[in-house]
Amino acid sequence: MAKDGLIKTGIKGLDSILLGGIPRSNVILVQGVTGSGKTLMGSEFVYRGVVQYNEPGLIVVFETNPDKLIRDAAGFGWNLDELQQQKKLQIIFTSPQVFDQELRSPDSLLLETAKEMGAQRIFVDGVGLLNTNLVDSNFVHRTYRELLQQLIESLSRENLAAMFSLEIGKAHASIAAAESIDFLADTVIQLGRERHGRRIHRSVEILKSRGQDFEGGEHTMQVTGGWGLEIFRRVQAPLPAKSMQPTSSIMRSVIGVEAVDTLIGGGIFDGSTTMVVGVSGVGKTVLGTQILREGALRQKTRGLLISLDEHPAQIVRNAQTMGLNLEEQVADGTIQILFESPQELDIDKHYARIVQIIEEHDIQRMVIDGMTSYSTAIGEIGVYRDFFHAMVAYSKQRLMTTFFNYENPEFLGISSYMPDFPVSSIVDNLILLSLVEINNSLHRCISVVKSRGSKHSFDTREFVIGQGGISLVPLQQNLVPTLPLQSYSSLLSRAPTRFSVPTRTNNGAAVKDNK
Amino acid sequence: MELSLQDCLDGVGISLLSEWDVLIFVYRHKASLISADQIARLIGYPSRIVNDVLDRLEREGLIERSRPSHGAHFYRILTSMDSGRWLCLRQLISLSEGRAGRLRLAERLKAPLSDSGRKEQAS
Repeated sequence: MAKDGLIKTGIKGLDSILLGGIPRSNVILVQGVTGSGKTLMGSEFVYRGVVQYNEPGLIVVFETNPDKLIRDAAGFGWNLDELQQQKKLQIIFTSPQVFDQELRSPDSLLLETAKEMGAQRIFVDGVGLLNTNLVDSNFVHRTYRELLQQLIESLSRENLAAMFSLEIGKAHASIAAAESIDFLADTVIQLGRERHGRRIHRSVEILKSRGQDFEGGEHTMQVTGGWGLEIFRRVQAPLPAKSMQPTSSIMRSVIGVEAVDTLIGGGIFDGSTTMVVGVSGVGKTVLGTQILREGALRQKTRGLLISLDEHPAQIVRNAQTMGLNLEEQVADGTIQILFESPQELDIDKHYARIVQIIEEHDIQRMVIDGMTSYSTAIGEIGVYRDFFHAMVAYSKQRLMTTFFNYENPEFLGISSYMPDFPVSSIVDNLILLSLVEINNSLHRCISVVKSRGSKHSFDTREFVIGQGGISLVPLQQNLVPTLPLQSYSSLLSRAPTRFSVPTRTNNGAAVKDNK
Repeated sequence: MELSLQDCLDGVGISLLSEWDVLIFVYRHKASLISADQIARLIGYPSRIVNDVLDRLEREGLIERSRPSHGAHFYRILTSMDSGRWLCLRQLISLSEGRAGRLRLAERLKAPLSDSGRKEQAS
């Protein structure tokens, strides 16, 4: 038990959204539909109590065969049999009638057992079944609410930290039961199991918890083989105040990529966020890789590259062909690469993984390559936006310099930077990479469209990708065989038009220059 | 060493299917806080038979039964039985975990039950 009077569930991630744990005297109700993980959560509450906090416990079941409970627990690496032999855990199979009598009886066998083993936690699986036991041993009829009150009173008297499970969503009777116990319980945890497309998504939500604050909303829950339950806080939940950091700095860092540094005014503010927008093949990934490599080599910043499209080995190989050797940095950990398949991507879990890597490796520069894959993988625009906002907020809190690559689907001209949702107010810098058709060849161009707090260049510059990555084409040595870019207008529309510079004849009349 | 089915049954001291069914119920439920009547309802035997079987299993040192509390007892397998008997029990439990094993056990245990057992169950 924590010193502050909170009991820690020990369930990975749950205590975090409960801001440390649950007040010791609270009666906890876990409710949900069939298969939502109620029995598992209750069993883990008792198991973690034993193994992590040395708090022996009881698991009371009415319908589940203890043999199967032990078998299933073994799949998570929990040896409940051994704990029973050590008298730290007792699984008791009983009936609702006997359980009810036992809790109200001064010579109760159940409470005697709890006392003998020094039990501090109890999980009662299927408290809704008590609804069928409304006549007590003296043949006095009670309401279900009275029965629950008696149950809670008995457990409070014994100072046992109690967790009940209740199955909901089956019938009107169970709804009434849920309403009663919802009110009587101090902490109500709702578990969900919903279809998202063709996959199953498990969720957990704290509906109430008397005497404490908690992170509301629907968080992701996962059943992990060899471990148990893992809770991942919803991505948009505000971060705890303890991790607050300065969100802006006057310190500018040279990115180390000439094309960017030149156009953006000599560097970028630490903790700023930059969106790199461009069509497929224009060089977004190369720029991202170059930014991380330059950071690791010259700025001594640790980097993270996140991709839903390419495996780390493929990223390293492709970079190698550009003369950007990442092997050494990846091997020594100065550059981390996180790849997760977009198939069945669980965004809360993914976000938690990103945060974990950033904090473990003290990442200062991050490239997300790219946002379009997230849009496809997540599906729901609201969740996609939440993820993006959360990443921006987290980057700023850590004073981390972050680049988001976004593949704009519009090949010929751009009508909006990101068709998915407006972005210009969220990011600090906006870099546009474009393909420009001149005569019969495509040229790559870079424009800094926005850079907060910087006197950036509005020039669109041509760049090439070669050994070492992206480099600007010098203005004086333009490689365009016809005329330099300055000779064209409407470059961003990708329909460049040559200027017609007016000249004058000997008598002063204006004529068009047809150069 | 693998013992024959009959050796195991003899080693444990089980001769009736009702004895086996009550014993395996107690084994699978580890610590049951329950009345004999409730066990009878759960396994589908008359209460009188289950009461008799529980008495016998306790006398035989196969299960332990706590003091009563409102008609309920704690029932547990007595793990302090001698190793030979425990080995036999484990072998029978292992056998009963499959459908074929269960049928073999039921077949073998039916015979001693034939006359007296059927009368018991009919009553």
